[in-house]
Amino acid sequence: MSTDTETRGTLGRLRASPFLADLLTNRLAVVGLTIILSMAAVAIYARVTYDLGALASSQLGTEIADRAPPGWIGPAPANQQLFGTDAAARDIYKRTLYGAWLALKFGTITVGTSTTVGVGLGIIAAYYGDVTDNVIMRTMDVLLAFPPLLLALALVAIFPRDLGLWRAVVALVLVYTPRFARVVRGAALKVLEDEYVDATVALGATDPRVLVRHILPNTLAPITVQSTLNFGLAIIDLAALSFLGFGAQAGSPSWGLMLSRGVENGLLTGEWWLSFFPGLFLAITVLGFNLLGDGMRDALDPRMRDAID
Amino acid sequence: MNWTQFLFRLVEPVVPPRFVIKRLLLLIPVLFGVASVVFAILHLAPGDPAIIIAGQRASAEQLEQIRVELGLRRPLWEQYLSFLWDAARFDFGQSYSISRGNSVRSVISDRLPITLELAIYGQAAGILLGLPLGIISAVKQDSLTDHVTRIGALTGISVPIFWSGPLLILLFSTYLDVFPTSGRIKSTLFLPDTWMLFGRELPLTGMITLDTILLGNTEAFLSAAHHLFLPAVVIGVYSTALISRMMRSSMLEVIRQDYIRTARAKGQGAKITLMKHGFRNALIPVVTVIGIQFGTLLGGAVLTETVFGINGMGLTIVNAIGVSDYPVVQGTVLTFALLFTLVNLLVDVTYSYLDPRIQQ
Repeated sequence: MSTDTETRGTLGRLRASPFLADLLTNRLAVVGLTIILSMAAVAIYARVTYDLGALASSQLGTEIADRAPPGWIGPAPANQQLFGTDAAARDIYKRTLYGAWLALKFGTITVGTSTTVGVGLGIIAAYYGDVTDNVIMRTMDVLLAFPPLLLALALVAIFPRDLGLWRAVVALVLVYTPRFARVVRGAALKVLEDEYVDATVALGATDPRVLVRHILPNTLAPITVQSTLNFGLAIIDLAALSFLGFGAQAGSPSWGLMLSRGVENGLLTGEWWLSFFPGLFLAITVLGFNLLGDGMRDALDPRMRDAID
Repeated sequence: MNWTQFLFRLVEPVVPPRFVIKRLLLLIPVLFGVASVVFAILHLAPGDPAIIIAGQRASAEQLEQIRVELGLRRPLWEQYLSFLWDAARFDFGQSYSISRGNSVRSVISDRLPITLELAIYGQAAGILLGLPLGIISAVKQDSLTDHVTRIGALTGISVPIFWSGPLLILLFSTYLDVFPTSGRIKSTLFLPDTWMLFGRELPLTGMITLDTILLGNTEAFLSAAHHLFLPAVVIGVYSTALISRMMRSSMLEVIRQDYIRTARAKGQGAKITLMKHGFRNALIPVVTVIGIQFGTLLGGAVLTETVFGINGMGLTIVNAIGVSDYPVVQGTVLTFALLFTLVNLLVDVTYSYLDPRIQQ
């Protein structure tokens, strides 16, 4: 009985939350969420089923043909792979699926870290103001003065090659953090104008308490939208760095690296499957995050809500 | 009115308003910070420049001599100050890798126009197609046109350049053989370094489509345009998608404003209201976004150059990082940052003319 009331309470609250309701009625956002969840399922499946070592190592010299087209094209011997094989006779289907795991894992780490650091810096800058604000925000301005991908490229040069995708992650965290700091600082400054913050301080709340309990929750909405839209960007940029040769290590089944090999080995000879499948998965994943991010922005923007009514 | 007054009237619009001067002064600390970051990156980077220049087999004395020549034996603060001084004069020394003895400055002046040309075509396509698409989409909100444009634009920003590029090459170059796979012009065509204007020899710009027009060489122009077409499409689609999204959401916000309703209520036609009151106001935030997106576009140019084998700044920096050619990395990254900053300054100034409220 009591659980029933509770459930009804939660559902009621869910329905009462205009944000979630709007998000769920926004068809594009639902499509985006579906894409992301399916891609996450694919990623976990690949991570559990396939052995990374086997996917990375060359299969040349085995009975598997290299650069074999997908099995469903032309007269197919039984052992042909669904997405074909690459120049080292590796199965592109398995590698593409595993690429989803790498993209989502490193994407999550990149966005998670830059959100956390950016939110921290933004809130601190807004709350303490003055010198603290100036030091933090002017540093962010300098980082924002570089074209994003080029700053990442220059930063990647600092780190040793064997760090693989991790150096791309660190570089991109430095590129994205200022954006979060800027958005959060703006949102936090608005919250700080509210009287209840003064009241909390007057009641003797400590700085950390005000920051975490009162300012942070009120800046969550813009942060969530920014994070979601940035997720798609992070996945593209991670792949771009790998594509340019400054991310994933040789042999790794990352989408960016597979695309780079596709350009190297299949472009002039017409072996389109080397590039097509990893790029397709990459584009669909990014589209998923962009759809969801757009939907969230519309749901959060009250003016857009009026527009829907 | 005496003639000094007349002269003053003439220059008045050209004298930068206070706002612009303030904005220019704010640029100095940012550029100083940018140069410091670049210096720090170089000094944190692994690898000994002496070994990169002389090779692994050089003797200890040779390496030491190179280190002294490069100033690496001086105290760090001295190196830092001399780097700032060099950067201010745009002098980054010699490249380690590009045909020994080539100054970084000449490498940049050769290759920057190539990248700029690509970025300009991309941005132009984005503005010419993206603005109207965004307006139509907003005005016909929730119509079929709107849905198609929105989904098209979302797809456009989700498809990476290093996938759409190779697919276009595969389709149009490898299979259909209607476009070249790489390069900037047919290899049999040779362009001179200078062109003649009223009997005077002038240097060419380095932007190949412009140069071939200046030279009046139709065959070369057609070949250059033929080579540039696919790269420009790749980057143009991306930029169109970005700009149409911004224009749509900005326009949607503006057409709900009271002054639009007032203008319509006065009996002004829908089209005139849209263009006179709607478009101009909606353009303000879009202009800022176009400036910020210019940085993304420069990144896009780097990727496009890599895919299409165009030897501009992008391919140069990628190669330079690969072989630890730090002077070139420093020079190119600083140039990109400077370019990006200047474009944003230009955008801010434009913004202030579109919306005089900003100046206060």
